[in-house]
Amino acid sequence: MSGEFRPLPVDTPELGDDAAVHAGGRRRLHAPLSDDSRLAVEIRGLVEQGAMDEARERFGELVALHQRRASRIAYQYLRDASEADEAVQDAFVKVFAHIDGYREAWPFEVWFTRILINGCLDRRKALSRRDRWFVDTEVSTADEARAVAAGASADPEHRLLARERRARVAAAIDRLDGRQRTVFMLCHYGDCTPREVSAMTGLNESTVRVHLFRAARKLRGLLGGKP
Amino acid sequence: MKHRAHHLHDERLFDCYLTERGGDVLDPPAAEHLADCGECTARYAALSEFMETLRRDGEAEADAVFTPDRLRAQQHAIARRVEHLGRPARVISFPHRIVQRTLGVSQSRTAPRWVAAAAAAGLFVGVALGASYEWNMRRAPAASFGTRDVSSRIAPAAVRGANADDAAFLSDLELALERPHTRELQAFDALTPHVREIRDQR
Repeated sequence: MSGEFRPLPVDTPELGDDAAVHAGGRRRLHAPLSDDSRLAVEIRGLVEQGAMDEARERFGELVALHQRRASRIAYQYLRDASEADEAVQDAFVKVFAHIDGYREAWPFEVWFTRILINGCLDRRKALSRRDRWFVDTEVSTADEARAVAAGASADPEHRLLARERRARVAAAIDRLDGRQRTVFMLCHYGDCTPREVSAMTGLNESTVRVHLFRAARKLRGLLGGKP
Repeated sequence: MKHRAHHLHDERLFDCYLTERGGDVLDPPAAEHLADCGECTARYAALSEFMETLRRDGEAEADAVFTPDRLRAQQHAIARRVEHLGRPARVISFPHRIVQRTLGVSQSRTAPRWVAAAAAAGLFVGVALGASYEWNMRRAPAASFGTRDVSSRIAPAAVRGANADDAAFLSDLELALERPHTRELQAFDALTPHVREIRDQR
């Protein structure tokens, strides 16, 4: 877990209008505020007015908008369903607690994803520390969940092959350099464009593209061209 | 057939993939080349397939874990946690009536001194009576136990002698063994026959 790449802290002032990309589907530069960003601004206003109940209600909508994507990212990072679940919850709670620090110049998605990934990285670090001292004798919750998920498929051979393939892919992604992994995760599983990843990480967009390309090349090499 | 040097570099192909995935149009030279060159088209297709399969697999795996039910539960959990945020810390006021009553009690306690004096006197009398009673009790049982014990302990062996009934003797012995001060003899008792056993043998 050494060399883990961490996105910029959430209150980094570097994110200006330049990073104003659009959330929801394919995003564009200098587009008007996306739905989620507008909602976040609205929630911030409600919190400032002290209308907490209404703010909480509106926040539920924001959660519903980003929940699935956040869960995918967190799961790919942590490979454990419960850990990912907690990481997503923590990220949302943190967002609500610090909503007064949100600026509309920042796309909400970028702001939120930073918080989420920093939380995931902290958890990864804690997990690796725990694994160093404790031997896992039981099947992990992730394995259980995957087994349940695979249970939907009737063919045992197909199930076994799928499990093996997922394990191979996970191992290959784990072998990526910290920066490559973060960029790859955000772009591939977080459905972010290189420009958005650039805004999240503070890296140059062309650097993000290079990292992505290297990550993909390494993965293809490790997986023999087939996932 | 074009020369290999004219083929698109892997990095360029990857850029094309990213551009297409982002919903943008490929730059004209790359698009033209891909339209003309079969080899590059095949490489591009293989790259796209690899990346898409990887993504689909990952998403499917995560979606299988985070089912709609689980996501709903997650939403509820977030709502519960957010419920406590932004609310000022609640100060629980001490019930007014109890405070008044407590104050009243403490005042009435301190006011009459004779109550404290009476309590002290009562305590002294109580302790004195208790001590004298205990002293009397120690003297009386010592005398009565002495006479009774001697007769009951010695009687079976010495006084009754050969005339005593075996069953009565053994039952006396059992009674004696059940007393707390003879517990250490119970090991020896285990080695000797009991009345019940003798009766059963008969």
